[in-house]
Amino acid sequence: MRMTRTFKWLLASTCLAAASFTLPAQADQLADVHKAGELVIGTEMQFAPFDFLKDGKQEGFNKEFFAKVGKALGVKIRFIDLPWASVLPGLDANKFDFVAGPLNVTKARKERYHFTLPIADGTVALLKSAKNTAFTKPEDIAGKVIGSQRGSAQLDQTKTYANSLKPAPEVREYVDFNQAYADLANGRIFAVGNSITNIAVVAKERPDTFAVIQPSIGKKVYFAFMGHKGANSDSLIKAIDDVILTMHKDGRLAALQKKWFGMEMDVPTADFVPNV
Amino acid sequence: MFDAQSFLHALPLLLRAAQMTVFVSAVGLLIGFLIAVAVVSACLSPRPPMRRLGNLYTFVFRGVPLLVQLMLAYYFLPTLGINVSPDVAAIAAVSLCEGAYLGEILRGGFLGIPRGQIEATQMLGISRFATLVHIEIPQALKLTAPSLVNEMILLVKASSLISVVGVAEITRTAQNIAASTFRPLEAYVAAGLMYMAVNGILSVLGHYAERHFERA
Amino acid sequence: MTASLSLIQQYGPQVLSGFGITIVSWLGAVVLGMALGFLIAVLQLFAGRWVRTVLRIYIEVLRTTPFLVQLFILYYGGPNFGLSLQALDAGIIALAIYGSAYFAEVFRSGFTSVPRGHLEAAQCLGMSRLTTIWRVQLPQMLVIITPSLVNLIIILSKETSVLSIVTVPELTAILTQIGSEQFIYVQTMLILSVCYLLLVGVTQKLGSWAEARASRFLQH
Repeated sequence: MRMTRTFKWLLASTCLAAASFTLPAQADQLADVHKAGELVIGTEMQFAPFDFLKDGKQEGFNKEFFAKVGKALGVKIRFIDLPWASVLPGLDANKFDFVAGPLNVTKARKERYHFTLPIADGTVALLKSAKNTAFTKPEDIAGKVIGSQRGSAQLDQTKTYANSLKPAPEVREYVDFNQAYADLANGRIFAVGNSITNIAVVAKERPDTFAVIQPSIGKKVYFAFMGHKGANSDSLIKAIDDVILTMHKDGRLAALQKKWFGMEMDVPTADFVPNV
Repeated sequence: MFDAQSFLHALPLLLRAAQMTVFVSAVGLLIGFLIAVAVVSACLSPRPPMRRLGNLYTFVFRGVPLLVQLMLAYYFLPTLGINVSPDVAAIAAVSLCEGAYLGEILRGGFLGIPRGQIEATQMLGISRFATLVHIEIPQALKLTAPSLVNEMILLVKASSLISVVGVAEITRTAQNIAASTFRPLEAYVAAGLMYMAVNGILSVLGHYAERHFERA
Repeated sequence: MTASLSLIQQYGPQVLSGFGITIVSWLGAVVLGMALGFLIAVLQLFAGRWVRTVLRIYIEVLRTTPFLVQLFILYYGGPNFGLSLQALDAGIIALAIYGSAYFAEVFRSGFTSVPRGHLEAAQCLGMSRLTTIWRVQLPQMLVIITPSLVNLIIILSKETSVLSIVTVPELTAILTQIGSEQFIYVQTMLILSVCYLLLVGVTQKLGSWAEARASRFLQH
């Protein structure tokens, strides 16, 4: 008799849990954002020059870009700083409306999420220690130890390149890029694989510690922001895309790129098929 | 080797972060205590299924590392329709974990209450719940007060892991400082000292609490 | 179903390797930590006031600060002093040092639990300090402290998950990366939990066996 009661209880709670897996997304996301008066964005603040902390405050491309989006949409912008591995799961879990990052546009991600139009070049290249004068071309990493960020598309591309070399370098997975740069500076690793946009800025700010290795090691990829996939989110993404297109036309995007990346970048202004 | 200036600059930022650390630990302890009472009641229940449930809870929440519990609370709770901010997810995970550990401590406390008292309440017709609240919990608290303070200290240390879900407590703040100043040693040593300060204060409070309970 | 099978095929070796690293770092830290802790406890018995004070500070610092912070100091702060350890080495050493503080306290309480009369008798019989420890104190201590030792060993097994934060490719690191690559975050976390539960369960069973063996000569 007692066994049956416990069993029934377990069965009931499992059904409840299963039922909640199928909770549908509610109304139009853009309408929800307008109603709430704010757009909540998940990001990682260890990703200069897009998102980084200066004296504990957020600075970077994302802050300025989304300030413009907020003005265009008439809503406040609120950023949530998370370790990178928690950002995409956080979007899935509806902990925020949108992901900044930005992220590399990849085929796998496009199947599950909805990207905005791209805003920068995300092609992966290698960062080296400036003291390492023997290291002049990407192939020099063969047999060495390199690093990138766990859960990032840059890691995937770094690994792909690494596996094409003989002997293949060991790829260490860091929780964020800043920790990888720290280990590059203290000599634990030989190179860091990250998008050229990021490492160019790092090398420019600390030229006696870091330098970029050309050419890039991955296929051409673009950086974009990302939201939920589905009809409910289309209007929100389209609204942000409209802001991006406007910024293309009036030169504000190019100005932002020049300010934060040191140069303007050519990015697609319509949907495209990613290379990775 | 050690840059005293970055060290000193880190301290005020970490002091602010310490407030979050103490907040999460305190709330975690409070809610964890309530969960622990439920768990202990289950473990000491005369009904075998309740006992099995209580023991299962204790096994699971003491067996899975807190780091993994935090990540699970963060990713998994929403699929059950429980959608909360990172802070709340952190407190929830910490409370659930604490509930298991506190449950074990309270079990010792509950078992230390003379059975005669429980039998007396049954004879007087006092409800199970009232017995719990008025007789068992106060005495268990008295018996286990030092261990509870110890748990709070452990909780403050464990809170360093909630940086995994992005809560701006001491360790995450130290990480941010290390990243922007490129001086990790100074940032983390400052963090360590901050934890020692918080735990030191807790120990002192604990001694006062012990003496207070002994007098009563 | 076939999707799961192909995932297992693709990632199986990595997960096993991650599990192996978890076990290696755990057992390495346990052996080193216990040895270090025992040494500290013995020193506390015999050493002078200054050494005892230093050891007391060592233990208190390690017990009032989080393991993650200690690990960061060793791994990222070490290079400031010319100590640039590889991730796994740093992980094992940091975990061993962290554990040694707790092991030292357990051994210390074990030493004080042996009745003074036994120590005096051993002295009368002309036993050296070391012989006394080995033949009189240790066997009696083990009965009382085995549960605490088992508890600490289990705690250290769970702390290994923290090593993932400094690039050690143990189980938590591997499964987190797989979760990100395949977008199966929740599933990998659940698998991770089950792995730790298995590890802890097995260790608890072994611990019960050890406790039974340690107290087999007790007449109760």
